[in-house]
Amino acid sequence: MNDTIKIRIVKDKIFFGIICFLSSLTVIPLIAILWQLLRKGYRQINWHFFTQSAPSTLDAMMAQASGSLIPGGVANGITGTFLMVGMAAIVAIPVGIFSGIYLADKQKGIYASVIRFLTDVLQGTPSIVIGIIAYAWVVKPLGAYSALAGATAMVIMMLPLIVRSTEETLKMLPESLKEAALALGAPYWSVMFRVLLPSAFGGLFTGILLAVSRVMGETAPLMMTALGCTAVNWNVLKPTSAVPLLIWQFYNDPNLIDMIWSSSLFLMILILGLNLIAKQVAQKWRI
Amino acid sequence: MIKVMKLVNYFFIATAILVMAACGGKNKSNASLAGAGATFPLPYYTLAFKTYQDAHQTEVTYGGIGSGGGIRSLKDKVVDFAASDAFLSDADMKKMPAVVHVPTCMGAVVLAYKLKDVKSLKLTGDIVADIYMGKITKWNDQRISSINPGVALPNKSIVPVYRSDGSGTTFVFSDYLSKISPSWKSSIGSGKSLKWPVGIASKGNPGVSGTVSQTEGAIGYVGSEYAFAQKIAYAQLKNAAGKFITPSLQSISAAATGDMPKDTRCMITNSPASDAYPISCFTWLLIYKDQKYGSRTLGQATSTVKLLNWILSDEAQKLTAKVNYAPLPKKVIDNAEAQLKTVTYGSTPLLK
Amino acid sequence: MRQENISDLFFRRALFVASIFILLICAGMVYAMVSGSWAGLSKFGFFHFFFSSTWDPTLGHEQYGALSFIVGTLLTSVLALGFCLPFSLSVALFIGEYFKGKKVANVISSVIDLLAGIPSIVYGLWGFYTLRPLMQGWGLSEQGFGILTASLVLSIMIIPYAASLSAEFIRMVPRQLKEGAYSLGATHFEVVRSVMFPASGSGIFASYVLALGRALGETMAVTMLIGNTNDLPTSLTATGNTMASIIANQFGEADGLKLSSLIALGLMLFLITAVINFIGKMIMKKFTV
Repeated sequence: MNDTIKIRIVKDKIFFGIICFLSSLTVIPLIAILWQLLRKGYRQINWHFFTQSAPSTLDAMMAQASGSLIPGGVANGITGTFLMVGMAAIVAIPVGIFSGIYLADKQKGIYASVIRFLTDVLQGTPSIVIGIIAYAWVVKPLGAYSALAGATAMVIMMLPLIVRSTEETLKMLPESLKEAALALGAPYWSVMFRVLLPSAFGGLFTGILLAVSRVMGETAPLMMTALGCTAVNWNVLKPTSAVPLLIWQFYNDPNLIDMIWSSSLFLMILILGLNLIAKQVAQKWRI
Repeated sequence: MIKVMKLVNYFFIATAILVMAACGGKNKSNASLAGAGATFPLPYYTLAFKTYQDAHQTEVTYGGIGSGGGIRSLKDKVVDFAASDAFLSDADMKKMPAVVHVPTCMGAVVLAYKLKDVKSLKLTGDIVADIYMGKITKWNDQRISSINPGVALPNKSIVPVYRSDGSGTTFVFSDYLSKISPSWKSSIGSGKSLKWPVGIASKGNPGVSGTVSQTEGAIGYVGSEYAFAQKIAYAQLKNAAGKFITPSLQSISAAATGDMPKDTRCMITNSPASDAYPISCFTWLLIYKDQKYGSRTLGQATSTVKLLNWILSDEAQKLTAKVNYAPLPKKVIDNAEAQLKTVTYGSTPLLK
Repeated sequence: MRQENISDLFFRRALFVASIFILLICAGMVYAMVSGSWAGLSKFGFFHFFFSSTWDPTLGHEQYGALSFIVGTLLTSVLALGFCLPFSLSVALFIGEYFKGKKVANVISSVIDLLAGIPSIVYGLWGFYTLRPLMQGWGLSEQGFGILTASLVLSIMIIPYAASLSAEFIRMVPRQLKEGAYSLGATHFEVVRSVMFPASGSGIFASYVLALGRALGETMAVTMLIGNTNDLPTSLTATGNTMASIIANQFGEADGLKLSSLIALGLMLFLITAVINFIGKMIMKKFTV
């Protein structure tokens, strides 16, 4: 009797040890990549980075020749990213959450299974294919590259994550929660918004955050929809820049290639900021 | 309570959007142009268009999505102009309404290599073709060492590097090799993407030059502006006149002497000029000859033609040399300007 | 009373309408892809295209086939999932269960979430400059590029999706369930194995499906590290190509038959993702019953 207990305790400790070991191993490549970004990019980040538009190759060449920092910044990319991600989020978040609620409610049934299936398949579509589709659906009819097209591509990319994380999170809530609220006579929508969704906030937020992080870093679909722009642009029907597009531009330019790191670092900081704000809000709303 | 908060949030966001959209409408520029195409001239175009923008109150956007993407955008009429490293073939021209090609600058394809102690390297087109076909495999091969007297070539394997993505650079490179080597022409041919028998594939100019710089014994073809700016080691190439030429802005421009066709569509690889670098090329901007299509306004058409006219001006051509591209020779500029004069809006020519 | 019914009706209608979005998007995509790939598929025949590994873009004798890319995609994605599984599961348990609510869990959670936002180009560059020399140094790969390198970087990229989401589901397992097991004398490990995994199993599975989807569709990072040879990969360290990578590489310059073949590849990726998902669901059904 004693021996069996001892074995179980040993197994428990070994398992714990493995978990800690593997977790620390996982952190290593992450830290390595982040360290690279920091090391190569921190110098470039200053106030100008946020307020000036992307430099040209000549500016960069002259700066390198004189040993100073490359002038300019990524303001056109920042505003473009905000514009398009903002537009995409306004559509994708409600649609995604509602679809997730629908799927969580209907566990059986062919229609729901099909939708669930299609959502997972959509997640596997390469971002460039989504870009091609958005090109055919928005750019061609409108006759111009536009921020709207870019946002459309982003919506398609964000939906699967939001839908599935909402659905799975709601499924994990104990039935008693919903039943108790309904028993009090509350209409279903009220139960959803006031009881279930707040309880599910953690999962919802993680899904939304992952979705937003993903679209912020995607290049290929934006190349075929938003095209890029040298100046700050707020017009949704015109071509717009975005930080990943700028990164692509810098990558292809022999003089600007060093700006990649600072731009990525900036993107990281932005996402970290979003993360922290989201966690704060989640804390306030958690029951 | 939550409902109220949600409503407030949505209202806030909606106002923000409206404000942003309104700001967009109040553009101080009177026109905005959009173009898309080749990544080869991307650094030059971003610089040129920025300069134009500041002086002429016209916003110009350029996206480096690839020559094919640019031509497709022009076909779909979603851009004002397209940029391409390869001019449209006669067959392609038939599929579209008449298009005018305007060359903007020149560049070249250079052969970058990584050999530790080799400071200068001479190659011929045949040798390069055979390297890429896998027929020459070692650096100290007799054919290479015989044209490089005094250079200690190691007994290392040659690692050819080529472009994995479809590219105008590949097109120019393979066009040259097809002219030089009949066996290349019949087995591999020329095109934007080919079936390479040996070597490593890398994405984009940065990919190829990155791979070359990290692999001892590698050789790869890169765009000249990239090689010049990154200061990587590249080889001298024997041209059609028999001289070994170092790629430079002068030797690139020299390739455009001699007869140039009126519609400016020609490949200048393997140029017979005595000081020409043999793998030089033009890059073009394409617009429709009749600018009255779709819902295009006269103002838009005039702005487009004005921009292209400016690219041919002294001011723009002087910019090319600053960023390691070669300016167009006078004869080509004259031909290009003549081409631009044929662009019309309906029946009215746009350039007087 | 009546008012509640109406508002509920609206609500349920709204939910249904939202779900149609996905259906419309997918249907639209399939339609666009099928019409775009018609030329290529009718020329080569669907099955021939699927099983042929020739990819010859030379004008005059163009021949396109999908097999090398299908194999490349499957290899890299499955390897990536396999590599990431032990690590992301450990991290998920770490932050969702063992160190739940503690500072260290928050820090690691934020670090993992950051990973999701790194642009794929940067992953590609990191792999190029850092991982590739390592692979060559360790003797794993001669030129450093290849299926293995790409899979390793892919696995790092999909860790946030798998770990963050799974952690959430693990965190949500009701306390009563766990406490019930503890009160019966179970060790922590046994509680995790017998209570938490079944309870959050569906959610965890969903997060891995999403992670796999991400891996199947990843373009930039893969294309910079996989070597881009359009033949069937001969071994794990050989170079190859994936469907997403070749579409991204060639789409900018493609025309006519080639363009049609590329879109056909996109369609095939769609179908393969569907099949993999289907198989996954079947497996899940076997385990949960």
